[in-house]
Amino acid sequence: MFPKVPDQHKNGKPLIPNGLGVLYVLFVTVYLFFLYFLGIGSISIGVSAPLTLAVCVLFGGFMGLLDDWLDLKWRYKAFMPLIAALPLIYFAIDMNARTSITLPFIGFVNFGVWYFYLIIPLIVMIVTNTVNMLGGFNGLESVCPAIVLLGLMSISALTSPIYLLMVGPIIFWLILSVLNFKGKIFVGNSGSFAIGMTIAAFAIIADVKLSLLISIIPYIFNSSLILLTVFFTRKKALITFKDNKLVSHHKRSLVTILTFNRPLSERKIVTIISIIVAVFTLLAVIYSFFSIPI
Amino acid sequence: MSKDQSSGLNSFSKMFKVNRSSVIVVSALILILFVAFTVRMLPMRWEIGSGQVHLNEYDPYYQYSITSYMVENGLFSPYTDNWINNQQWYPNGLHMATSLPALPMTAAASYQIYSFFGGTIDLMEFCALLTVALGTLSCLIVYFIGKDFGGRAVGLFAALALALAPSFLQRSSLGFFDTEIPGMIGLLFFVLFFLRSLDPKRSLRTSLIYSIGAALALAYFICGWGAAYYVLGLTSLFVFAVVLLKRYDRRLLISYSATMGIGLLIAIQFPIIGLSYLTSAPVLLVAGVFIVLLLAEFMQHDVLAKNKITIVLAVLIATVSSFATLSYFGYIGNIAGKFIATISPVARASSPLIASVAEHRVTAWANLYTELGICALFFILGIYFILNKPTNRNIFLLIFGATGLYFGASMVRLLVIFAPAFALLMGLGLIGVLKPFMLLLKGTPDTFTKAKRKMSLVNKKYSILGVVLIFVILLTQFAFTPQTGGVPRAYSNAYMPTTVSAAGLPVVPNEQMTQWLDMLTYTSNNLHSTDVVVAWWDYGYWLSVMGDVTTLADNATIDEGQIENLAYIYMSSEDEALRMITEKYGQKNVQYILVYISLYLFEYEDSPTGFYSYPYGLADEGKWAQMARISGGARDRLISEGYMTVDNAWSNESGFGSSDEDSGQWMWNQDGMDSVIYKLMSSTEFAFAENSNGVISATSNEVTLKYLKIEYISGLNASYNPYNDLVPVVGLFKIDWAAYNAAHPTH
Repeated sequence: MFPKVPDQHKNGKPLIPNGLGVLYVLFVTVYLFFLYFLGIGSISIGVSAPLTLAVCVLFGGFMGLLDDWLDLKWRYKAFMPLIAALPLIYFAIDMNARTSITLPFIGFVNFGVWYFYLIIPLIVMIVTNTVNMLGGFNGLESVCPAIVLLGLMSISALTSPIYLLMVGPIIFWLILSVLNFKGKIFVGNSGSFAIGMTIAAFAIIADVKLSLLISIIPYIFNSSLILLTVFFTRKKALITFKDNKLVSHHKRSLVTILTFNRPLSERKIVTIISIIVAVFTLLAVIYSFFSIPI
Repeated sequence: MSKDQSSGLNSFSKMFKVNRSSVIVVSALILILFVAFTVRMLPMRWEIGSGQVHLNEYDPYYQYSITSYMVENGLFSPYTDNWINNQQWYPNGLHMATSLPALPMTAAASYQIYSFFGGTIDLMEFCALLTVALGTLSCLIVYFIGKDFGGRAVGLFAALALALAPSFLQRSSLGFFDTEIPGMIGLLFFVLFFLRSLDPKRSLRTSLIYSIGAALALAYFICGWGAAYYVLGLTSLFVFAVVLLKRYDRRLLISYSATMGIGLLIAIQFPIIGLSYLTSAPVLLVAGVFIVLLLAEFMQHDVLAKNKITIVLAVLIATVSSFATLSYFGYIGNIAGKFIATISPVARASSPLIASVAEHRVTAWANLYTELGICALFFILGIYFILNKPTNRNIFLLIFGATGLYFGASMVRLLVIFAPAFALLMGLGLIGVLKPFMLLLKGTPDTFTKAKRKMSLVNKKYSILGVVLIFVILLTQFAFTPQTGGVPRAYSNAYMPTTVSAAGLPVVPNEQMTQWLDMLTYTSNNLHSTDVVVAWWDYGYWLSVMGDVTTLADNATIDEGQIENLAYIYMSSEDEALRMITEKYGQKNVQYILVYISLYLFEYEDSPTGFYSYPYGLADEGKWAQMARISGGARDRLISEGYMTVDNAWSNESGFGSSDEDSGQWMWNQDGMDSVIYKLMSSTEFAFAENSNGVISATSNEVTLKYLKIEYISGLNASYNPYNDLVPVVGLFKIDWAAYNAAHPTH
């Protein structure tokens, strides 16, 4: 059913079914509609939390499909998620969401209305794109987001039943992650954008902004490195595959830093980066646990 | 069967020969039109029980009164008779010949045809239903426009999107008999015919016929809705852009000249439009673009470069000097000022009277999101696709979409103009995205190779998922809309009673709320049509048209000074209010004063069988602050006329009390409690409470009326706790002039 593409980092480049992220999108939509019909997670009368999340995930999946079809240029991909920010802004205003954040070392920052019109679009744009940028290895684009989502869900469970929105999606995504890690499937652009959108949308709906910020530090680091390198040197990160190992000769991304003159297997790279992401997510969980009054 | 008969049958069957796709398309179109019609009929639920269908909001009653006059006296009678309606804007009356003719004429002519064939429903019901019919017709027209743009599928999606577009749905649902309706019909026919007239594949003769069609539509639009300036500006901008993009051809010149020339010629025949229309900025723009077209045509001829330069310079000098002359005589300044006020929300906001009208307000982004929903995505894709294929037709749509979005974002009411542009672009975007999937599903190569990456990413079966995904996105747009809590947004926009059937409250009750209708029936049956009822201008049309009495002001808002006086009458003391009435309007006809309040009922804490009533803020108890500001705005004039003194003058509501810092509740001061509005509201509330046999206790301060007596209170018999704890009550008070004159013998 799914189109097959070669796995570039395996000997013989076997053909692997790609684009299974669409299944995630469809599953999440059905799951969230189900929650909506059961009245679970509907924390507002005027606007529906499950449906808002469903629309965002659908949009993410659709963006991935568009990328597959139209081969979207980066300038479009960078700004398209802004459309998905609209339902989230609507939701946040309707819910009278908290517009402030308490940052470690800096303290309390209140964005006022700027939270709705600037911060939310920025969160959606940055998270979706950075998640999409850290990929290309079996498991990398699926396991790391799963870790972040697990963290965010746990944190939200401390304060409200909104975490229920994430139970189904995480289970489904974990199954895809395992298959992806084992090199059986690729989630494709639709999966990658959809999971990025899931993270951003859930963080806004569940109001776990700080936890999101801490969890995605590795992503932001990776994207910043790539973009700054391209901006200043006009060079992209390159990695060579030889004898089942990957190696690079520059430091233009998180992956190339890890493999700089040090050949590593694909699985090892994914494991190391997953551990880095897990450490930051754990930090976010611990910080939230101690900062939320129970 | 003879040979002739057989060939006749064959040609007959050929005439009706349809393939399967045509059947599907026609069925889908009928279904969409059926949905469009049915959704617009939803307010009927509240009307059907009373046996009378009412119009919605307020302005439609103005349109209805002209229609009624036309039916009785002839289609052109308001203009030929120079009709002044003396039941409005007492004592000067309202000059009805200054009203736009398209809507009332359409309704009156259709009603006469309908009556000729034996139709029996009354005119108001007919007008209410005509709105629905014309709204549905708009969806059909947009189908044909969409079909011209990208085939039948685009047409179908565009029709569906327009059928369920919240802004248009609201303004074309049952009873919304207002100027947007002819505006939309005119706009859509104009777009359809004008773009067809530009089609180079059509013969010149056909092109001219379409130009004439477009001209008629343009004239209809100009005579139907003040927003016609938009279409003039849009067309000029489009033609100018086409010339700049070096896409000029002679057909453009012919179509543009014929359409604009004939259209404007017909429109200015109506006195309300008149010759002055031709000197307005957008029409000057039309003329300017015409000169540009002539130059473009000239450039196409084989003329020496030297002569070309000379003529271009001559035209430029002539144009500049013409504008300089107009400017010298003061035309340009005025025109520019008006034009800027129309297109700039900032300039408009500086006029308090315009800004106080809800439909003139700058669109909150939430309105825009409710309008577009997640299908904004397909709208953007539509723009992307037409940018990749910039034909003349597509350039028009691009400018239509961009300018429509700007105007829609700058004024709530103009979202209606944006609705068809959005529908068309959304249809194009949606079909543009679906097309490759559908091609694969139809059995084109099993894998689809992307040109750039050379990777096969999508195959036939996978494309099913793509289609499903798009379907689910549409489902969240039309069926399970997150922003309306999962309810279809069309439902939340159309499933509400007409304003008068909800007694003026923004609620969706189970049954018709008859408080206002009862009051209007009372005034109609018991008062003379020459009796003047002092009422806040919002209710002016209802009182004059349905209540058959005379009023001081209404939504026509033609005399700001009179509205200021009205506001003063409500905000001053009884003595001062009646003094102004006496001096400005005379005691003879002004006999009544009206107040409308909404009370919130809540239970006693200690006794669940008893209720407190509390003024909720949706009626005059919320509008009085506006009255205080409007009369306060005329403070200098009122001081100079002796109605205010420097000591007791107010500028806004702060002269009548202040908000309690803790509860936010308004605390009236003595001036506030002496004001006419407070006394009327309090007396109405107490009358309501007294009628409840002790079940309800009023929370306002009890007042004593000096010269006003309760004539009739509508809403006293409402069962308690009926509409989400809200009870509307309308109070009519008779002015006791004898008592006033006894206390003020000098008058």
